Amino acid sequence: MPSALQNPVTFWFVLTAALAAAAYFGLRQELRVRAILYGSFLIACLVAIWPPYGKDGQPGKIHLGLDLRGGMHLVLQVVTDEALAATIDDGVQTVRDQATRKGIVFGSVQRVDPTSFSLDGVEPARVKDASTILHDFFRDGWDIREAGEGRFLVKMTDLLVRQIKERTVKEAIKTLERRVNQLGVAEPVIAEHGNQGDQILVQLPGVTDPEQAKRVIKKTAQLALKLVEDTSTNKESLLQATGGKVPDDKELVEGQGDQPGQPVYYVVKKEAVITGRDLKNARAGVDQNNAPDVQFTLNPQGADKFKRETGRNVGKRLAIILDGIVASAPTIQSQIGSEGVITGRFTAQEADELSKVLRAGALPASLKWLQELTVGASLGKDSIRSGVMASAAGMAFITVFMLVYYRMSGLNAVVALAANLLILLGAMAYTAATLTLPGIAGIILTIGVGVDTNVLVFERIREELRNGRAVRAAITNGFERVWITILDTHATALIAAAFLFQFGTGPIKGFAVTLVMGLIANIFASYFVSKFLFEWVLGKRQVQTLSI
Amino acid sequence: MEILKNPNFDFLGKTRYFVAASLLIILAGIGYIAKYKLHYGVEFSGGTQLILKFQGPPQVDRIRDAVGAQAPGAVIQTYGDASKNQVLIRLAGALQGEVENAGSPVLDGLKASYAENPVIESSSEVVGPIVGAELRQKAIQLTVLGLLFQFIYIWVRFKGAVWGAAATLAVFHDVLVTLAFLAFFKYEITLNVIAALLTLVGYSVNDTIVIFDRARENLRHRRKEPLRTILNDSLNQTLTRTLISNGTTFLAVLGLYLFGGEVLRGFGFAMVVGILVGTYSTIYIASPFVVWWQGIKERRPPAAKAAL
Repeated sequence: MPSALQNPVTFWFVLTAALAAAAYFGLRQELRVRAILYGSFLIACLVAIWPPYGKDGQPGKIHLGLDLRGGMHLVLQVVTDEALAATIDDGVQTVRDQATRKGIVFGSVQRVDPTSFSLDGVEPARVKDASTILHDFFRDGWDIREAGEGRFLVKMTDLLVRQIKERTVKEAIKTLERRVNQLGVAEPVIAEHGNQGDQILVQLPGVTDPEQAKRVIKKTAQLALKLVEDTSTNKESLLQATGGKVPDDKELVEGQGDQPGQPVYYVVKKEAVITGRDLKNARAGVDQNNAPDVQFTLNPQGADKFKRETGRNVGKRLAIILDGIVASAPTIQSQIGSEGVITGRFTAQEADELSKVLRAGALPASLKWLQELTVGASLGKDSIRSGVMASAAGMAFITVFMLVYYRMSGLNAVVALAANLLILLGAMAYTAATLTLPGIAGIILTIGVGVDTNVLVFERIREELRNGRAVRAAITNGFERVWITILDTHATALIAAAFLFQFGTGPIKGFAVTLVMGLIANIFASYFVSKFLFEWVLGKRQVQTLSI
Repeated sequence: MEILKNPNFDFLGKTRYFVAASLLIILAGIGYIAKYKLHYGVEFSGGTQLILKFQGPPQVDRIRDAVGAQAPGAVIQTYGDASKNQVLIRLAGALQGEVENAGSPVLDGLKASYAENPVIESSSEVVGPIVGAELRQKAIQLTVLGLLFQFIYIWVRFKGAVWGAAATLAVFHDVLVTLAFLAFFKYEITLNVIAALLTLVGYSVNDTIVIFDRARENLRHRRKEPLRTILNDSLNQTLTRTLISNGTTFLAVLGLYLFGGEVLRGFGFAMVVGILVGTYSTIYIASPFVVWWQGIKERRPPAAKAAL
């Protein structure tokens, strides 16, 4: 094909021009406009679907659903309460700091539930100051109630709750997008799902290793580097040093010891030196002993902090905590700048996956898995084969039947059916709709409905002929009389299809889409195109009989 | 070629027998479902379903031994064509309530005790219990809403609630009878089957509309004749179309049932039954209902008749 014709618009234009010329010289005046109109539309559909299926790595124009090409479909729920609780915890911290700075004595400040916290036992003389602090720092989106006796209740408004939830889900989607991009999946879908607003749909067509994909998506990847105060394999002896419990500004974390099944406990400073947010980049590498590790680079603020803290704490140990578990706790040999290494007992693949999720960032809240669907590639291929086989069988049977039963008019119906399918596939290619296995069933049904339209018209024409009408009048009457019926049957079918669409999960949505497009295409093809064909073939000749 | 020349059957004469037959099937269906329950697919019941492709012909007994320890009570059966070496394994409920790892114990068990015939491809479907319940509710809701909107549409288009009610009743009948047959033949209610039922809601009303439309047209010319005669004539006038259209569609979905593969088997079955029942219900449920309704109206004062 010449390169100019590779451009679909040019290609369409050339074909349409040829058609227009042919129509101008070959057709009667009243048919010309319709021929060009219908023809150019059908050519546009043909151009839209070319090439229909992928070859040599080039994707085809018909998008195949997960059930046909294999892949993964996940529905995840974002635990938005976690993000709300984190916001409340920030608030608690703020109140504690501010009150302490202003010298206000108070009993306690703590989270009540994920959307509120309380401040208790403020000394009577300073209640007014406490109230000022609260009103200054919790102005928009908060509801502050004074309960008397130095007690305050601070609650998020519904609006703020909704905003935080929305933001959390959006952030989770962004993080997932970054992670999925690292997997190198073509055409992934990551979108909000359901009407609760907290579900995310993830579709990964053609993933070859579903287990790996799951691991990468699942990792919360909360990274924190914290200074180690003390460490021991025995929890009790470790706590004895601090009087049996962990001090407020420290925390106890667990890590894997030298022997499997024997944990090591660390008491670390609560405040992290750096966290995942300070990372600029991370990549998998190997250390001098050829053991896999993850090397990271910090952003400027992170690097400043890291430099200061490591400089101040040379000789101390720094715990690298991943998702709440100590991966390793190397000793700080000297001041470190903007680059560091996470060592642990990683395999090369683990190091690679860890670097990927660190690059993509942590999730704002954890995810709950609601649904998972994986389809192997060969199962998908089998489905395509049987689906195409069933459609071909149906199509072949209908073609033979229509030709036998309606003779030459049957040919008209077959042409209309072909046009119907062409429009349906063209519309699907153009709107990038997905063809699923139930969608193939939808195409077969479309063929059935298309035949019905033709049969309705043909039977009516036969009836008109039986009642002694001339051929031309019989055709005109036949088409006119069934118009209302066709409109009503298609409208009710469209109503059902619209509700099917609401059902909304992958394959069924694909089915609804094909049904809707098929029904609309059918009105055009089996009614208008078919009518045009009759008028064209009959021409100006005086016909006495009609092959029907 | 014509299959019927000027058919003239008395369709509305033996109505009561058919209504009785329909009621019998529906009641039997309800009784059967009440006793044996519908088999819900994984999407609705929640749970885990794996389709594993083995390198060589799988030995179901060996697989059962290997899997049994990890997942007691698992259903294990060969899936699809024997030459594909595929096995379907179903676990009740998402194992240990963990959707993300539901399939792993099975795969681990197979790796440990059935290593000589490794799994070369696995497909899985894991549905948490919340999703299943939500989906079931949604399916019922959407079917009812679909029927309601069709009822309103037909009511408006035919300027009479009786036409809408008759068409909706017929479709409702079709859904119930199809469900009964799905239960009798122990088909699983999967998402695809629900799609088939919703499609039936759209498709089987077609027939009814075609006939009602003809009746509407006939009523315009033959005002004096009784409604019963007009409806019976309309049924006869559209009979060829009814047989050909439904016949071809029936054969097309029969192809789907026979050649559509394991995944579309239930869908195909529901469509095959649905199209047969849809044709039947148009003639023996929807039309008699209109006549019966009018009979009731005529026994009342004439003011009420205007509504028809």
